[in-house]
Amino acid sequence: MSPRLLALVPSAVALNLAIGFVVNQLGLPLYLDTVGTVLASALAGPVAGVLTGIVSQTVRSLYEGFIWFPFVAVQVLIAILAGLAAMRGGFRSLPRSLGWGLLVGALAGALSAAISWFVFTGVTATGVTAVTLLLTHLGLTKPQAVTVSSLGTDLLDKTIVFLLAGAVLRALPERALGRYPWARRALCR
Amino acid sequence: MTRRAGLAARAHPFTLFAVVAGVAALAFLVPAPAGPIALYALVASLALVTGNARAAGRAALVCLPLWVLLALLHGVGGGFDPRSITVSRAGLAAAAAQGARLGAVATASLVLFAAFDPSRFLDAVAARGWSFHAAYLVVATLQAAPRFRRRAAAILEAQRARGLRAGGGIAGRVRSLLPLTAPLVLGMLTEADERAMALEIRGLGARVPRTALDPPPDRAGDRIARWTTGGLVAAGIAWRVLA
Repeated sequence: MSPRLLALVPSAVALNLAIGFVVNQLGLPLYLDTVGTVLASALAGPVAGVLTGIVSQTVRSLYEGFIWFPFVAVQVLIAILAGLAAMRGGFRSLPRSLGWGLLVGALAGALSAAISWFVFTGVTATGVTAVTLLLTHLGLTKPQAVTVSSLGTDLLDKTIVFLLAGAVLRALPERALGRYPWARRALCR
Repeated sequence: MTRRAGLAARAHPFTLFAVVAGVAALAFLVPAPAGPIALYALVASLALVTGNARAAGRAALVCLPLWVLLALLHGVGGGFDPRSITVSRAGLAAAAAQGARLGAVATASLVLFAAFDPSRFLDAVAARGWSFHAAYLVVATLQAAPRFRRRAAAILEAQRARGLRAGGGIAGRVRSLLPLTAPLVLGMLTEADERAMALEIRGLGARVPRTALDPPPDRAGDRIARWTTGGLVAAGIAWRVLA
Protein backbone atom coordinates (compact mmCIF):
# COMPACT_ATOMS: atom_id res chain seq x y z
CA MET A 1 0.00 0.00 0.00
CA SER A 2 1.45 3.38 -0.99
CA PRO A 3 2.06 6.03 1.72
CA ARG A 4 -0.35 8.40 -0.11
CA LEU A 5 -3.16 5.85 0.05
CA LEU A 6 -2.32 5.02 3.65
CA ALA A 7 -2.46 8.74 4.48
CA LEU A 8 -5.70 9.48 2.59
CA VAL A 9 -7.84 6.70 4.09
CA PRO A 10 -7.77 7.83 7.80
CA SER A 11 -8.64 11.40 6.74
CA ALA A 12 -11.51 10.17 4.54
CA VAL A 13 -12.84 8.02 7.40
CA ALA A 14 -12.57 10.97 9.79
CA LEU A 15 -14.52 13.01 7.19
CA ASN A 16 -17.30 10.38 7.19
CA LEU A 17 -17.54 10.71 10.98
CA ALA A 18 -17.24 14.54 11.01
CA ILE A 19 -20.02 14.92 8.45
CA GLY A 20 -22.22 12.85 10.75
CA PHE A 21 -21.61 15.56 13.36
CA VAL A 22 -22.46 18.37 10.86
CA VAL A 23 -25.68 16.57 9.84
CA ASN A 24 -26.66 16.26 13.52
CA GLN A 25 -25.98 19.94 14.11
CA LEU A 26 -28.11 20.90 11.09
CA GLY A 27 -30.88 18.55 12.27
CA LEU A 28 -31.12 16.80 8.89
CA PRO A 29 -32.96 13.45 8.74
CA LEU A 30 -30.07 11.89 6.75
CA TYR A 31 -26.85 9.93 7.41
CA LEU A 32 -24.43 11.24 4.73
CA ASP A 33 -21.90 8.88 6.34
CA THR A 34 -20.45 7.82 2.97
CA VAL A 35 -19.22 11.20 1.66
CA GLY A 36 -15.62 10.31 2.63
CA THR A 37 -15.98 6.85 1.04
CA VAL A 38 -17.27 8.31 -2.26
CA LEU A 39 -14.58 11.02 -2.28
CA ALA A 40 -11.82 8.49 -1.55
CA SER A 41 -13.01 6.37 -4.51
CA ALA A 42 -13.24 9.43 -6.78
CA LEU A 43 -9.82 10.73 -5.72
CA ALA A 44 -7.74 7.57 -5.52
CA GLY A 45 -9.80 4.73 -6.99
CA PRO A 46 -12.13 2.03 -5.62
CA VAL A 47 -9.39 0.38 -3.49
CA ALA A 48 -9.09 3.59 -1.44
CA GLY A 49 -12.89 3.79 -1.23
CA VAL A 50 -13.29 0.16 -0.13
CA LEU A 51 -10.61 0.60 2.56
CA THR A 52 -12.29 3.82 3.72
CA GLY A 53 -15.66 2.06 3.90
CA ILE A 54 -14.33 -0.91 5.88
CA VAL A 55 -12.31 1.23 8.31
CA SER A 56 -15.27 3.66 8.70
CA GLN A 57 -17.60 0.87 9.73
CA THR A 58 -14.96 -0.69 12.01
CA VAL A 59 -14.25 2.59 13.82
CA ARG A 60 -17.93 3.48 14.10
CA SER A 61 -18.50 0.01 15.54
CA LEU A 62 -15.80 0.67 18.15
CA TYR A 63 -17.65 3.84 19.22
CA GLU A 64 -21.21 2.49 19.05
CA GLY A 65 -20.78 -1.25 19.48
CA PHE A 66 -20.28 -3.77 16.70
CA ILE A 67 -24.03 -4.19 16.19
CA TRP A 68 -24.01 -2.17 12.94
CA PHE A 69 -20.91 -3.84 11.47
CA PRO A 70 -22.87 -5.97 8.92
CA PHE A 71 -23.63 -2.71 7.04
CA VAL A 72 -19.96 -2.73 6.00
CA ALA A 73 -21.20 -4.51 2.85
CA VAL A 74 -23.16 -1.36 1.89
CA GLN A 75 -20.04 0.79 2.32
CA VAL A 76 -18.04 -1.60 0.09
CA LEU A 77 -20.76 -1.59 -2.60
CA ILE A 78 -20.91 2.23 -2.58
CA ALA A 79 -17.10 2.48 -2.84
CA ILE A 80 -17.01 0.14 -5.85
CA LEU A 81 -19.87 1.98 -7.60
CA ALA A 82 -18.28 5.38 -6.83
CA GLY A 83 -15.04 4.09 -8.39
CA LEU A 84 -17.03 3.05 -11.46
CA ALA A 85 -18.71 6.47 -11.54
CA ALA A 86 -15.28 8.14 -11.36
CA MET A 87 -13.98 5.98 -14.25
CA ARG A 88 -16.95 7.11 -16.38
CA GLY A 89 -16.77 10.81 -15.54
CA GLY A 90 -19.74 10.55 -13.19
CA PHE A 91 -18.83 13.68 -11.23
CA ARG A 92 -18.33 15.95 -14.28
CA SER A 93 -21.68 17.75 -13.94
CA LEU A 94 -24.66 17.99 -11.63
CA PRO A 95 -26.99 15.82 -13.80
CA ARG A 96 -24.34 13.07 -14.01
CA SER A 97 -23.83 13.11 -10.22
CA LEU A 98 -27.61 13.00 -9.81
CA GLY A 99 -27.93 9.97 -12.13
CA TRP A 100 -25.14 8.04 -10.42
CA GLY A 101 -26.51 9.01 -7.00
CA LEU A 102 -29.93 7.59 -7.86
CA LEU A 103 -28.41 4.37 -9.23
CA VAL A 104 -26.15 3.88 -6.20
CA GLY A 105 -29.02 4.79 -3.85
CA ALA A 106 -31.27 2.13 -5.39
CA LEU A 107 -28.61 -0.61 -5.23
CA ALA A 108 -27.39 0.36 -1.75
CA GLY A 109 -31.01 0.53 -0.57
CA ALA A 110 -31.70 -2.98 -1.84
CA LEU A 111 -28.63 -4.39 -0.08
CA SER A 112 -29.40 -2.40 3.04
CA ALA A 113 -32.97 -3.77 3.08
CA ALA A 114 -31.67 -7.35 2.84
CA ILE A 115 -29.24 -6.81 5.75
CA SER A 116 -31.91 -5.00 7.79
CA TRP A 117 -34.35 -7.88 7.38
CA PHE A 118 -32.11 -10.95 7.56
CA VAL A 119 -29.69 -9.77 10.28
CA PHE A 120 -31.69 -7.18 12.24
CA THR A 121 -35.27 -8.46 11.70
CA GLY A 122 -36.20 -5.01 10.40
CA VAL A 123 -35.09 -2.83 13.33
CA THR A 124 -32.09 -0.59 12.59
CA ALA A 125 -31.81 3.21 12.85
CA THR A 126 -34.67 4.88 14.71
CA GLY A 127 -35.91 7.04 11.79
CA VAL A 128 -35.95 4.20 9.23
CA THR A 129 -37.62 1.84 11.70
CA ALA A 130 -40.27 4.46 12.49
CA VAL A 131 -41.10 4.56 8.75
CA THR A 132 -41.17 0.72 8.68
CA LEU A 133 -43.59 0.69 11.65
CA LEU A 134 -45.84 3.24 9.95
CA LEU A 135 -45.88 1.19 6.75
CA THR A 136 -46.74 -2.05 8.58
CA HIS A 137 -49.66 -0.27 10.26
CA LEU A 138 -50.75 0.91 6.81
CA GLY A 139 -51.03 -2.72 5.74
CA LEU A 140 -47.68 -3.67 4.19
CA THR A 141 -46.02 -6.91 5.29
CA LYS A 142 -42.85 -6.51 7.38
CA PRO A 143 -40.41 -7.46 4.56
CA GLN A 144 -42.23 -5.07 2.18
CA ALA A 145 -42.15 -2.26 4.75
CA VAL A 146 -38.42 -2.78 5.45
CA THR A 147 -37.65 -2.75 1.70
CA VAL A 148 -39.67 0.41 1.02
CA SER A 149 -38.23 2.33 4.01
CA SER A 150 -34.61 1.27 3.27
CA LEU A 151 -34.92 2.06 -0.44
CA GLY A 152 -36.56 5.42 0.24
CA THR A 153 -34.00 6.60 2.77
CA ASP A 154 -30.99 5.33 0.78
CA LEU A 155 -32.23 6.83 -2.50
CA LEU A 156 -32.44 10.27 -0.87
CA ASP A 157 -29.26 9.89 1.20
CA LYS A 158 -26.95 8.54 -1.51
CA THR A 159 -28.24 11.00 -4.12
CA ILE A 160 -27.35 13.91 -1.81
CA VAL A 161 -23.97 12.26 -1.06
CA PHE A 162 -23.13 12.04 -4.80
CA LEU A 163 -24.38 15.61 -5.46
CA LEU A 164 -22.29 16.89 -2.53
CA ALA A 165 -19.18 14.90 -3.52
CA GLY A 166 -19.51 16.09 -7.14
CA ALA A 167 -19.89 19.73 -6.07
CA VAL A 168 -16.85 19.48 -3.76
CA LEU A 169 -14.72 17.79 -6.45
CA ARG A 170 -15.63 20.43 -9.05
CA ALA A 171 -14.77 23.17 -6.53
CA LEU A 172 -11.29 21.73 -5.75
CA PRO A 173 -8.32 23.81 -6.94
CA GLU A 174 -6.29 22.45 -9.88
CA ARG A 175 -3.26 22.03 -7.61
CA ALA A 176 -5.15 19.64 -5.34
CA LEU A 177 -6.60 17.73 -8.29
CA GLY A 178 -3.11 17.39 -9.83
CA ARG A 179 -2.11 14.90 -7.14
CA TYR A 180 -5.08 12.62 -7.81
CA PRO A 181 -5.30 11.37 -11.44
CA TRP A 182 -8.56 9.53 -10.64
CA ALA A 183 -10.20 12.86 -9.76
CA ARG A 184 -9.25 14.32 -13.16
CA ARG A 185 -10.89 11.29 -14.78
CA ALA A 186 -13.99 11.66 -12.58
CA LEU A 187 -14.34 15.26 -13.77
CA CYS A 188 -13.29 14.49 -17.40
CA ARG A 189 -10.44 17.05 -17.24
CA MET B 1 -2.87 7.65 25.69
CA THR B 2 -3.11 6.72 29.36
CA ARG B 3 -2.96 3.09 30.45
CA ARG B 4 -6.38 1.90 31.60
CA ALA B 5 -6.90 -0.26 34.65
CA GLY B 6 -8.97 -3.45 34.86
CA LEU B 7 -8.91 -7.01 33.58
CA ALA B 8 -10.03 -6.07 30.04
CA ALA B 9 -7.29 -3.42 29.74
CA ARG B 10 -4.60 -5.90 30.92
CA ALA B 11 -5.70 -8.54 28.42
CA HIS B 12 -3.82 -8.97 25.15
CA PRO B 13 -5.49 -6.77 22.46
CA PHE B 14 -6.19 -9.79 20.24
CA THR B 15 -7.97 -11.55 23.13
CA LEU B 16 -10.48 -8.68 23.35
CA PHE B 17 -11.19 -8.78 19.60
CA ALA B 18 -11.50 -12.60 19.68
CA VAL B 19 -13.98 -12.46 22.57
CA VAL B 20 -16.11 -9.77 20.85
CA ALA B 21 -16.13 -11.75 17.59
CA GLY B 22 -17.02 -14.89 19.56
CA VAL B 23 -19.90 -13.16 21.38
CA ALA B 24 -21.24 -11.83 18.04
CA ALA B 25 -21.11 -15.32 16.50
CA LEU B 26 -22.63 -17.06 19.55
CA ALA B 27 -25.46 -14.49 19.74
CA PHE B 28 -26.74 -15.82 16.39
CA LEU B 29 -25.82 -19.48 16.98
CA VAL B 30 -27.38 -20.24 20.38
CA PRO B 31 -31.07 -21.30 20.41
CA ALA B 32 -33.48 -18.36 20.71
CA PRO B 33 -34.94 -16.83 22.80
CA ALA B 34 -33.32 -18.35 25.93
CA GLY B 35 -29.79 -18.58 24.44
CA PRO B 36 -29.32 -14.92 23.46
CA ILE B 37 -30.94 -13.76 26.74
CA ALA B 38 -28.59 -15.98 28.79
CA LEU B 39 -25.61 -14.78 26.71
CA TYR B 40 -26.51 -11.11 27.29
CA ALA B 41 -26.92 -11.76 31.03
CA LEU B 42 -23.49 -13.45 31.09
CA VAL B 43 -21.74 -10.68 29.10
CA ALA B 44 -23.36 -7.90 31.17
CA SER B 45 -22.45 -9.69 34.44
CA LEU B 46 -18.84 -10.14 33.28
CA ALA B 47 -18.70 -6.43 32.34
CA LEU B 48 -19.93 -5.47 35.82
CA VAL B 49 -17.59 -7.89 37.61
CA THR B 50 -14.54 -6.68 35.65
CA GLY B 51 -15.24 -3.01 36.47
CA ASN B 52 -16.84 -2.02 33.16
CA ALA B 53 -20.24 -0.94 34.48
CA ARG B 54 -20.05 2.32 32.51
CA ALA B 55 -19.57 0.48 29.20
CA ALA B 56 -22.45 -1.89 30.05
CA GLY B 57 -24.65 1.11 30.86
CA ARG B 58 -23.70 2.85 27.61
CA ALA B 59 -24.51 -0.31 25.66
CA ALA B 60 -27.93 -0.47 27.33
CA LEU B 61 -28.55 3.17 26.37
CA VAL B 62 -27.54 2.45 22.74
CA CYS B 63 -29.91 -0.54 22.66
CA LEU B 64 -32.86 0.99 24.53
CA PRO B 65 -34.57 2.60 21.48
CA LEU B 66 -33.93 -0.60 19.50
CA TRP B 67 -35.57 -2.75 22.21
CA VAL B 68 -38.66 -0.50 22.15
CA LEU B 69 -38.84 -0.59 18.33
CA LEU B 70 -38.33 -4.39 18.28
CA ALA B 71 -41.21 -4.86 20.73
CA LEU B 72 -43.44 -2.53 18.66
CA LEU B 73 -42.56 -4.07 15.28
CA HIS B 74 -42.70 -7.75 16.25
CA GLY B 75 -44.88 -7.84 19.37
CA VAL B 76 -47.64 -5.35 18.62
CA GLY B 77 -50.00 -5.75 15.67
CA GLY B 78 -53.12 -4.07 14.34
CA GLY B 79 -53.86 -0.70 12.76
CA PHE B 80 -54.04 2.85 14.10
CA ASP B 81 -57.26 2.25 16.04
CA PRO B 82 -56.29 1.46 19.69
CA ARG B 83 -59.12 -1.15 19.87
CA SER B 84 -57.57 -3.17 17.02
CA ILE B 85 -54.14 -3.48 18.70
CA THR B 86 -53.03 -7.04 19.42
CA VAL B 87 -50.02 -8.37 21.31
CA SER B 88 -48.23 -11.48 20.04
CA ARG B 89 -46.31 -13.67 22.54
CA ALA B 90 -44.25 -15.26 19.76
CA GLY B 91 -43.47 -11.81 18.38
CA LEU B 92 -42.40 -10.54 21.80
CA ALA B 93 -40.17 -13.62 22.23
CA ALA B 94 -38.54 -12.94 18.84
CA ALA B 95 -38.08 -9.28 19.83
CA ALA B 96 -36.52 -10.31 23.16
CA ALA B 97 -34.11 -12.68 21.39
CA GLN B 98 -33.02 -10.04 18.87
CA GLY B 99 -32.80 -7.38 21.60
CA ALA B 100 -30.59 -9.67 23.71
CA ARG B 101 -28.34 -10.38 20.70
CA LEU B 102 -27.85 -6.66 20.12
CA GLY B 103 -27.31 -6.07 23.86
CA ALA B 104 -24.66 -8.80 24.14
CA VAL B 105 -22.72 -7.59 21.07
CA ALA B 106 -22.97 -3.90 22.06
CA THR B 107 -21.85 -4.60 25.65
CA ALA B 108 -18.86 -6.74 24.59
CA SER B 109 -17.71 -4.25 21.96
CA LEU B 110 -18.07 -1.18 24.20
CA VAL B 111 -16.05 -2.95 26.92
CA LEU B 112 -13.43 -3.55 24.21
CA PHE B 113 -13.47 0.15 23.24
CA ALA B 114 -13.14 1.24 26.88
CA ALA B 115 -10.07 -0.99 27.23
CA PHE B 116 -8.62 -0.37 23.76
CA ASP B 117 -5.14 1.16 23.74
CA PRO B 118 -4.03 1.96 20.14
CA SER B 119 -0.29 1.86 20.92
CA ARG B 120 -0.57 -1.58 22.59
CA PHE B 121 -2.56 -2.80 19.59
CA LEU B 122 0.11 -1.56 17.14
CA ASP B 123 2.85 -3.19 19.23
CA ALA B 124 0.89 -6.48 19.31
CA VAL B 125 0.49 -6.40 15.51
CA ALA B 126 4.21 -5.63 14.99
CA ALA B 127 5.23 -8.42 17.41
CA ARG B 128 3.18 -10.96 15.42
CA GLY B 129 4.61 -9.71 12.11
CA TRP B 130 1.08 -9.02 10.81
CA SER B 131 0.17 -6.25 8.36
CA PHE B 132 1.18 -3.00 10.01
CA HIS B 133 -0.73 -1.03 7.36
CA ALA B 134 -4.16 -2.38 8.34
CA ALA B 135 -3.54 -1.71 12.04
CA TYR B 136 -2.17 1.75 11.22
CA LEU B 137 -5.36 2.63 9.31
CA VAL B 138 -7.56 1.93 12.36
CA VAL B 139 -5.25 3.63 14.85
CA ALA B 140 -4.60 6.73 12.68
CA THR B 141 -8.37 7.08 12.16
CA LEU B 142 -9.07 6.87 15.90
CA GLN B 143 -6.60 9.72 16.37
CA ALA B 144 -7.91 11.76 13.39
CA ALA B 145 -11.63 11.45 14.19
CA PRO B 146 -11.78 13.81 17.23
CA ARG B 147 -9.57 16.33 15.36
CA PHE B 148 -11.94 16.38 12.36
CA ARG B 149 -14.94 16.71 14.64
CA ARG B 150 -13.39 19.76 16.33
CA ARG B 151 -12.56 21.18 12.89
CA ALA B 152 -16.17 20.62 11.72
CA ALA B 153 -17.46 22.46 14.80
CA ALA B 154 -15.03 25.37 14.16
CA ILE B 155 -16.06 25.58 10.46
CA LEU B 156 -19.74 25.56 11.43
CA GLU B 157 -19.18 28.44 13.87
CA ALA B 158 -17.04 30.40 11.38
CA GLN B 159 -19.56 30.02 8.54
CA ARG B 160 -22.43 31.02 10.84
CA ALA B 161 -20.44 34.11 11.84
CA ARG B 162 -20.09 34.91 8.11
CA GLY B 163 -23.86 34.80 7.70
CA LEU B 164 -24.54 31.15 6.75
CA ARG B 165 -28.15 30.31 7.51
CA ALA B 166 -28.03 26.72 8.70
CA GLY B 167 -31.64 26.63 9.91
CA GLY B 168 -35.05 26.84 8.25
CA GLY B 169 -36.46 24.21 5.91
CA ILE B 170 -34.77 20.97 4.85
CA ALA B 171 -33.79 22.39 1.43
CA GLY B 172 -32.01 25.33 3.06
CA ARG B 173 -30.16 23.04 5.47
CA VAL B 174 -29.11 20.73 2.61
CA ARG B 175 -27.82 23.77 0.66
CA SER B 176 -25.72 24.81 3.67
CA LEU B 177 -23.90 21.45 3.54
CA LEU B 178 -21.56 22.53 0.70
CA PRO B 179 -19.97 25.56 2.45
CA LEU B 180 -19.48 23.32 5.51
CA THR B 181 -18.11 20.30 3.67
CA ALA B 182 -15.76 21.96 1.14
CA PRO B 183 -13.35 23.37 3.81
CA LEU B 184 -13.38 20.00 5.57
CA VAL B 185 -12.38 18.23 2.32
CA LEU B 186 -9.61 20.75 1.62
CA GLY B 187 -8.35 20.17 5.17
CA MET B 188 -8.56 16.41 4.54
CA LEU B 189 -6.39 16.66 1.42
CA THR B 190 -3.81 18.91 3.13
CA GLU B 191 -3.60 16.55 6.09
CA ALA B 192 -3.29 13.53 3.77
CA ASP B 193 -0.36 15.21 1.95
CA GLU B 194 1.45 16.00 5.19
CA ARG B 195 0.87 12.50 6.57
CA ALA B 196 2.01 10.85 3.32
CA MET B 197 5.29 12.76 3.52
CA ALA B 198 5.75 11.86 7.20
CA LEU B 199 5.09 8.17 6.48
CA GLU B 200 7.52 8.17 3.56
CA ILE B 201 10.25 9.75 5.71
CA ARG B 202 9.68 7.16 8.47
CA GLY B 203 10.24 4.33 6.02
CA LEU B 204 6.72 2.94 5.84
CA GLY B 205 7.38 1.63 2.36
CA ALA B 206 10.28 -0.51 3.66
CA ARG B 207 9.68 -4.25 3.26
CA VAL B 208 11.62 -5.35 6.35
CA PRO B 209 9.73 -6.60 9.46
CA ARG B 210 9.07 -3.93 12.10
CA THR B 211 10.29 -4.33 15.68
CA ALA B 212 7.78 -3.81 18.49
CA LEU B 213 8.98 -1.38 21.15
CA ASP B 214 6.93 -2.75 24.04
CA PRO B 215 4.88 -5.78 22.92
CA PRO B 216 2.01 -6.65 25.29
CA PRO B 217 2.49 -10.02 27.03
CA ASP B 218 0.43 -12.91 25.69
CA ARG B 219 -0.27 -14.74 28.95
CA ALA B 220 -1.64 -18.27 29.39
CA GLY B 221 -4.98 -16.73 30.48
CA ASP B 222 -5.22 -14.88 27.17
CA ARG B 223 -4.55 -18.02 25.16
CA ILE B 224 -7.10 -20.01 27.21
CA ALA B 225 -9.71 -17.26 26.67
CA ARG B 226 -9.12 -17.25 22.91
CA TRP B 227 -9.18 -21.04 22.58
CA THR B 228 -12.29 -21.31 24.79
CA THR B 229 -14.08 -18.69 22.65
CA GLY B 230 -13.04 -20.51 19.46
CA GLY B 231 -14.19 -23.84 20.92
CA LEU B 232 -17.59 -22.45 21.94
CA VAL B 233 -18.15 -20.96 18.48
CA ALA B 234 -17.14 -24.26 16.84
CA ALA B 235 -19.55 -26.12 19.17
CA GLY B 236 -22.31 -23.64 18.29
CA ILE B 237 -21.76 -24.16 14.55
CA ALA B 238 -21.67 -27.95 15.00
CA TRP B 239 -24.92 -27.84 17.00
CA ARG B 240 -26.56 -25.71 14.30
CA VAL B 241 -25.45 -28.06 11.52
CA LEU B 242 -26.46 -31.25 13.38
CA ALA B 243 -29.75 -29.87 14.70
